[in-house]
Amino acid sequence: MVLKFYASQFVAAGNGIVALALAEKQAAFEFVPIDMAAKEHKTEEYIAMNPFAQVPAINDDGFAMYESRAICRYLDERFAGQGATLVPKGMEERAVVEQAISVESMAFAPPLAKVVMELVFKVRRGLAPDRALADEGMKEISNILDVYEVILAKHRYLAGDDFTLADLVHYAYAPMLAENGVDIMTVKERPNVARWWNELMSRPTWIKLKAEGMKSTV
Amino acid sequence: MAILKLHGGKQATCTRRVATVLHELQVPFELIEVDVANGAHKSPEYLKIQPFGQIPYIDDDGFLLYETRAICRYIAAKYPEYGLIPTEPKANALFEQAASVELTNFDPSASKAGLQLWIRKMGYPFPTDDKIIADNLETLEKKLDAYEAILSKQRYLAGETITLADIFHLPYGVFVTYAGSESDSVMNRASRPNVARWYKQLISRPSWLAYLDGVTTTTAY
Repeated sequence: MVLKFYASQFVAAGNGIVALALAEKQAAFEFVPIDMAAKEHKTEEYIAMNPFAQVPAINDDGFAMYESRAICRYLDERFAGQGATLVPKGMEERAVVEQAISVESMAFAPPLAKVVMELVFKVRRGLAPDRALADEGMKEISNILDVYEVILAKHRYLAGDDFTLADLVHYAYAPMLAENGVDIMTVKERPNVARWWNELMSRPTWIKLKAEGMKSTV
Repeated sequence: MAILKLHGGKQATCTRRVATVLHELQVPFELIEVDVANGAHKSPEYLKIQPFGQIPYIDDDGFLLYETRAICRYIAAKYPEYGLIPTEPKANALFEQAASVELTNFDPSASKAGLQLWIRKMGYPFPTDDKIIADNLETLEKKLDAYEAILSKQRYLAGETITLADIFHLPYGVFVTYAGSESDSVMNRASRPNVARWYKQLISRPSWLAYLDGVTTTTAY
């Protein structure tokens, strides 16, 4: 049975990074849309798949799992030998990838969430953004990106010269910034970050995913 | 080969998480205290090693690594016989699922409430906020309802045996209980007997008990 990918239609957040990982691994899958507006993620049936009632989830011929970062790692093993290698095997190389993945969740994602909530989600819903919160978030992101600038001076991607899961997790929310007029990822004062981000945004798998949206390969 | 050096703070929260895992894996280590009170972690020399200016980091015979979960994963991979990161593909995937649950569904609220509760308990001169503590504990209560569902079917978060995913819940899983009592706290409620069982198992492990008064250099086990 082909792998089932349960997610919302939006190419963002956990849905987006798993969709991108599926593309990177050239995996065959069936996309099963979960309509969050209709609270399909809160049904008893869905909660049986994910007790946290969150998307996405997968079912690989009876093997069910949730948590987008974990799914990406599983896909890397499951489709080993196909497409990009998301996590290298060498002990030290792997540790450096884990270090960078941890930085994204602990340092980059929280202030980004603040900024995306105020300057993207609220604006989209016609609500007034909290400018103070947004500015605070922008300052925090800027501080983190100043460190990324130092790291990216040493190698092409965050954990070395190859694209890895550490880079892939950054597709969850940061692409929304430029789409909504916030250019913090490409400011000229941080040329290495700009170089890296532009590479990520022009990655063929990402461009195709954004153009075609969530859809089954079969 | 040189002894592993853990650069951090004796009482520092993340240093304690790493020490707990080093103890689980019976790895000798030397604690080298970083003078955070005097800004040693922000010096140019320090930033060359840990560019975010945070503690801890390890020096494993010349290999430098920061971010506690990355450090713990690296050490666990060195000693696979302890099974803290299962290697069989599906068991490994379920471990990753549980590790991601800790990261995204536990840590955000547990660390915010836990850090403040720990500051109060230790009497450190930093400001704390009742509302931040209360709001985050409320979020955590709801998340732990999902934990109850998971732990009613299996002994630990990734299956029947303990993994790093369970141990990552220390020390913040303990600090959040400072808002309650020994018999009734967010991690130990009559309404969530399986979470309580799992929590009590975690805090009775020698690796947690070893550093109740703070992390110390450990050369023998």
